Amino acid sequence: MIRLDTRVGPCSLRAWGLVLNFMGNAIALYGVAGVIRDGSRWPLLIAGLVVTVACVLVLAIPDTENNENRRLHE
Amino acid sequence: MTRERGPTPPPYALAQQIPQTDLDQEVIDLARLRTRPVLPRLAGYFRLGGPGFMNAALTLGAGTLTASMLTGATFGYRMLWLTWVSMGLGVFMMLAAARFACRGGHGVIDLQNRWHGRLVGSVMTALVGTLFVAVVFNFGQYSLGTHLLESLASALGVTLPRQINWVLYTALTSWLILAYGRHAGRGARLVETVMKTSIAVMLLSFGLCLVVVGVRWQEALRGLFIPWLPPGGPGLDLFIASSAAAVGVMDWFLLNYACLARGWGRHHEPLVRFDMTVGLCVPFVLVNWIIASVFAVTLFEQGLQPDTAPELAAALTPLLGATWAPVLFYVGFLAVPVTTTVGMSIAAAMALHAAMGWTPDPHSWRWRVSALLPQVGFLAVWYPNPIWLIIVIGAFLSLTNNIVGWSFFLLLNDRRAVGDDRSRSYLWNLGILLQITLLNSVAILYIFNRLGWWI
Repeated sequence: MIRLDTRVGPCSLRAWGLVLNFMGNAIALYGVAGVIRDGSRWPLLIAGLVVTVACVLVLAIPDTENNENRRLHE
Repeated sequence: MTRERGPTPPPYALAQQIPQTDLDQEVIDLARLRTRPVLPRLAGYFRLGGPGFMNAALTLGAGTLTASMLTGATFGYRMLWLTWVSMGLGVFMMLAAARFACRGGHGVIDLQNRWHGRLVGSVMTALVGTLFVAVVFNFGQYSLGTHLLESLASALGVTLPRQINWVLYTALTSWLILAYGRHAGRGARLVETVMKTSIAVMLLSFGLCLVVVGVRWQEALRGLFIPWLPPGGPGLDLFIASSAAAVGVMDWFLLNYACLARGWGRHHEPLVRFDMTVGLCVPFVLVNWIIASVFAVTLFEQGLQPDTAPELAAALTPLLGATWAPVLFYVGFLAVPVTTTVGMSIAAAMALHAAMGWTPDPHSWRWRVSALLPQVGFLAVWYPNPIWLIIVIGAFLSLTNNIVGWSFFLLLNDRRAVGDDRSRSYLWNLGILLQITLLNSVAILYIFNRLGWWI
């Protein structure tokens, strides 16, 4: 199971996930603009949506581990 | 199993002024209400609630209402869906703000300063997201409030130019602002009661206007449930402003500190949920829906598109027909800027104190000056303040909403910060993340639109 509070560099995985989500949102919207304008950028729209949905679904996982388990792991 | 608690701060200074017997009695009343049938329970919650209504009154300001009026006048019913989507998602973040207050008595600025740095806490949330917004946006409230006072007086056959009536506006709002936190907690209850009454007045007066002009139900329902986005330029700015105006940093901040000021704790969480639903969501969605619908069936159909709130109101009133309808419209509309000025000023004082680490004392000069800082908005009487400026600033602020939203979400899930009071709910996290995605999108759209990358 992913431990989203694991620190990677200056931030936790959960914080990096928010950054990735933001990038996914930007790519998807850039794709949307192209698709609406002239039908181009479908791949960008799909890639952005996949990143966004994946980030949202993973980042929503709460930290439900109880304290004893956590101490055992640590 | 051992429980892990985040560090517990001392009670918020404004709550310390409330006698302990009153706080204890409220907890007993809440326990008693939980065993009562639904209607008496809801009536009891309505009596005890307050911070949610304050937030509704704060949110329903000149910016939000202007965005609603413009939306109705420009796009008809087609953007009604945005109201409930943005508020529905906003509730998840509001509940996070309430959680920080009710479980452990955390002021969110202290939490942010400690775990995410002063740039995010004191600067982005308190000073930029709340104090700065309160000062800038109060110009819009004054502009609208004094115009409405002038129009209302005129409709009643009295001449009361805005260069004079701003004194009345300042006196009324300052009295309410300075009452908050005083008289052993009764001041806060007074302000909250005024907010509840004002929301009722808005609903009643706007609702009667809607009865006068009528509703095209088929189009209204389609607009309410089928999402639609306006293409390019000003239309997109309006969409961004509507989204940003729904629930933002100041609303999250005020809810957190208003709960702290009432001394609310773990036992108040059912009351918070009621307060959020009945006090905030329902009035927000209803008022915006009614306003947009009134303008959709009048100005939109006639092809009239004035730019400012007073012009919008002036264009509407002849279409309302009978004399009492415009008067009623002005009375309801006047409640909008008055309550927003009061709510924003209280939030400004709390924000400045939290950012600087000062202890809030409503009897001190420091509190009074902080609370009255946004009243410099009276200058709007002499310096015209186009409503589009408020909308553009609202769009800029969507960037602040964004980053502060991230911070709230991370804190809510951080066992170091809030211990066992962190979120254990996948659904709650999902709701917040959807709102963050909406806020991200609003910020990105704003940037794309400026760069000419949008449609």
